[in-house]
Amino acid sequence: MTDPTLLPAQQARTPQTQAAHHLLDAHALASLAQLDPTGANQLLPRVLSAYRSSLARLMGQLVAARSPFQPDTVKLVTHTLKSSSASVGALGLSSLCGQAEQALRDARLDDLPAILDTLEIEAGHVAAAVHQLLVPS
Amino acid sequence: MSLPHAFDADDSPERPKVLLVDDDEVTLMLTAVALSERGFEIVEANSGEQALRMLADWTPDIMVLDAVMPGLDGFATCQALRGLSGFENMPVLMLTGLDDEASITRAYQVGATDFFVKSNQWSLLSGRLRYLLRSSRTRLELERSKSKLARAQDLARMGSFDWRKPLAASFGAGPFAASAGSLSLAPEALRVFGYGPQDSVTLRQLIRLVPMPQRRGLTRVLNGVQTQSTVLAIDVPVNLPDGRGRVLHVEAEPEFNEHGHAVGYTGIVQDVTDRRVAEDRIRHLANFDALTGLPNRRQLIWRTERALDHARRLGHRLSMLLIDLDRFKVINDTLGHAAGDELLVEVARRLRSCVRHSDQVMDTALESAGLRSHRTLEAVGRLGGDEFIALLPEVVDEDDADRVAGRILEAMREPVWVGGQECFVTASVGISMYPNDGLSVADLMRNADVAMYSVKNTGRNAAAIYSPMLAGRGREKLELESALHKAIERNELVLHYQPKIDVRSARMVGAEALMRWQRGSTLVAPADFIPLAEETGLIVPLSEWALREAARQAKIWAVNFGFADSIAVNLPNRMFERSDLVETIHQSVSAYGVPHRAIQLEITETGLMKDLQNVIPCLHRLTEIGVEISIDDFGTGYSSLAYLTTLPISELKIDRSFVRDLGITPQSSAVVTAIIALARSLGLRVIAEGVENMRQMEVLHRLGCTVMQGFLFSRPIPPDDLELWLQQTVLPRKAPWIVQAGVDYIDPLRGTGARRP
Repeated sequence: MTDPTLLPAQQARTPQTQAAHHLLDAHALASLAQLDPTGANQLLPRVLSAYRSSLARLMGQLVAARSPFQPDTVKLVTHTLKSSSASVGALGLSSLCGQAEQALRDARLDDLPAILDTLEIEAGHVAAAVHQLLVPS
Repeated sequence: MSLPHAFDADDSPERPKVLLVDDDEVTLMLTAVALSERGFEIVEANSGEQALRMLADWTPDIMVLDAVMPGLDGFATCQALRGLSGFENMPVLMLTGLDDEASITRAYQVGATDFFVKSNQWSLLSGRLRYLLRSSRTRLELERSKSKLARAQDLARMGSFDWRKPLAASFGAGPFAASAGSLSLAPEALRVFGYGPQDSVTLRQLIRLVPMPQRRGLTRVLNGVQTQSTVLAIDVPVNLPDGRGRVLHVEAEPEFNEHGHAVGYTGIVQDVTDRRVAEDRIRHLANFDALTGLPNRRQLIWRTERALDHARRLGHRLSMLLIDLDRFKVINDTLGHAAGDELLVEVARRLRSCVRHSDQVMDTALESAGLRSHRTLEAVGRLGGDEFIALLPEVVDEDDADRVAGRILEAMREPVWVGGQECFVTASVGISMYPNDGLSVADLMRNADVAMYSVKNTGRNAAAIYSPMLAGRGREKLELESALHKAIERNELVLHYQPKIDVRSARMVGAEALMRWQRGSTLVAPADFIPLAEETGLIVPLSEWALREAARQAKIWAVNFGFADSIAVNLPNRMFERSDLVETIHQSVSAYGVPHRAIQLEITETGLMKDLQNVIPCLHRLTEIGVEISIDDFGTGYSSLAYLTTLPISELKIDRSFVRDLGITPQSSAVVTAIIALARSLGLRVIAEGVENMRQMEVLHRLGCTVMQGFLFSRPIPPDDLELWLQQTVLPRKAPWIVQAGVDYIDPLRGTGARRP
């Protein structure tokens, strides 16, 4: 399933594969691919599409939780997104999630909006990259 | 110690079942795929709530829980899980973030088995899961084995304990002094001591359970063992908090630290009361006589050995009294075994009162309990049957022992009520002394026995102290007995014959067979072996042999000179009690083809009267088949004249003691006259024995007794000699008694209807 809100950002990027490679770590993707070496189980597309829908759902929750501010939801979303992003190789996004989580834990609420803004933008890029990977070439 | 299989990967189930709980679909999917790839069977749950619902009817081998989840998070899920029955020990791996220390601590707090940092290092996760499964299995095995051990210990009323030595500072009042050290008891051990599993108990409290006399000894042993760091193994009597008295076995080994210093003890305590009771019972059965409760032979021997040790060490004397009841068999036979037993119990009771009898010997090393401890060995015991022993562990001299023997004889004097009637029982007591009469138990027993038999032989109901002279006699008797056993098979027995003479006609009217024992070159007289044969029961085969031999001789004489009278054989009264006597006689005469009347039986008057009731039926049967009965030694017993008139007898034999005094004292001719008159009026023949001179013969003849036997006519002689005597003395009428008796002489052989040899 494609999230139409992310499409403009995705289209703004130059060559699709390059964008994907930049946003999604190749090693991580390779190790995912190793779980299904022949591709017979369609593991990679299944994981990526699960991630895509999860990302869309969580980002929706995050945006909603920013105003009015719901720290618990923000914490939960960033925590979940942190590990699933790492799993598909979206290391930048994962790292931003970690920063947000840590800021919450440290109660540095002033730092949080900037991190979350960057996080939302990065999430848009990642969503686009995943989408590109899922579209049959 | 090795734990077989515990860490073998092979031992794990083929595909361990993993419940994977994560709210993140991506992580869930990847982890599931990665673990499936590595041999796990994965079931996924995307929330804590869902996971708990699944566990209602399914149990995984292990659970992997994401810590942070919406709704019921990993911690809450784990906590809830531990509250579910059957999931207390299931391995749970909590997945946390790398930088989340608080989560790690919390994971353990809520009961997670371990934590793992989320990553896509699937091999590490798989390895951790395998390890957790193995350790969980090992733990399960340990739990099972622990509960098996607890159950086994419970069944064995056993429990383990651990004692740590006190710190050096509190040392001083003895290592096991009150409150010293720390004691921990397993619940099973607490139970053995009568406490609940939650009770906390100190060593001091436990020691107080031991009753006072033993408590001091126990403390001494504990201190000794601890000071030397030796193994402790001891049975302790205790009174449990609820008042029950039990016996506990405590066994412990010292434990040492890395420097080789003893740091404490570890061991077990076991309730061995039942075993001790059983052991005591067995020991009692093995050492005490069931009927009288007195020490038995085994126990007596044990006590005597101890007493001898002591006497040897301290150089004092010891005495053994062998007590044998007189004629106990008669009581047993007439009143029955139950009455006999009753009598033995009463006798045992009386005998106990004659010595300082101790049922229990002070078992702890005798010497340590003081010089007088051997006194507890003093006892009366039952050897068996009607034989008892009194052991006097220390006596000053023979008089001491004799005094005890006197007390014993005195104690028997009172009548005993058994089987509803009054019985009088006496005893014969033989005494032997250490060291004079023997150095060993066996010697003392044997010599006391010799002394006791000497009492029996000299009239019973007395005591005698052993002397070597008695032993000499005893040995002789033993040799005689064993030789007599062989006499029959070796054909050493012979019959000699003394003719019975009718002086009116000067002819032989029969003969009495008299047994002789040709032992080597000496001829043993009946008086020297018949009493022994009677005593040992050998008299039965001896008598049977005599009957056969007499029948055989009757046949030979019948052939040689037409002998048609009877040969008289002496039988003891016990032979008349045998139901097979008639058959034995029948076989004896049949074997040689002579009539039944060829055998005449002589029974003494005393023997007959002693057992009249039992003998009479036999006499009737014998008379019926033609075997005549003669009453021997008549006039010496106490015949019931009323019986005499009804007895199936043929002949009275006047005892030689009356014949001897004939013509010397008027009383003897009065007795002889009376016997002759009695016989005549009852229609019985009368014969006089022991006729040695012409005067006796003349008086007897004058008084009306014409049949006689005695040295005047002939001594008992071998059968061939008797034939010779007939030929050379009787037939030629050469003897003086024939001239005297010649008045009525007709023909010496006519009476028998015999022809001249």
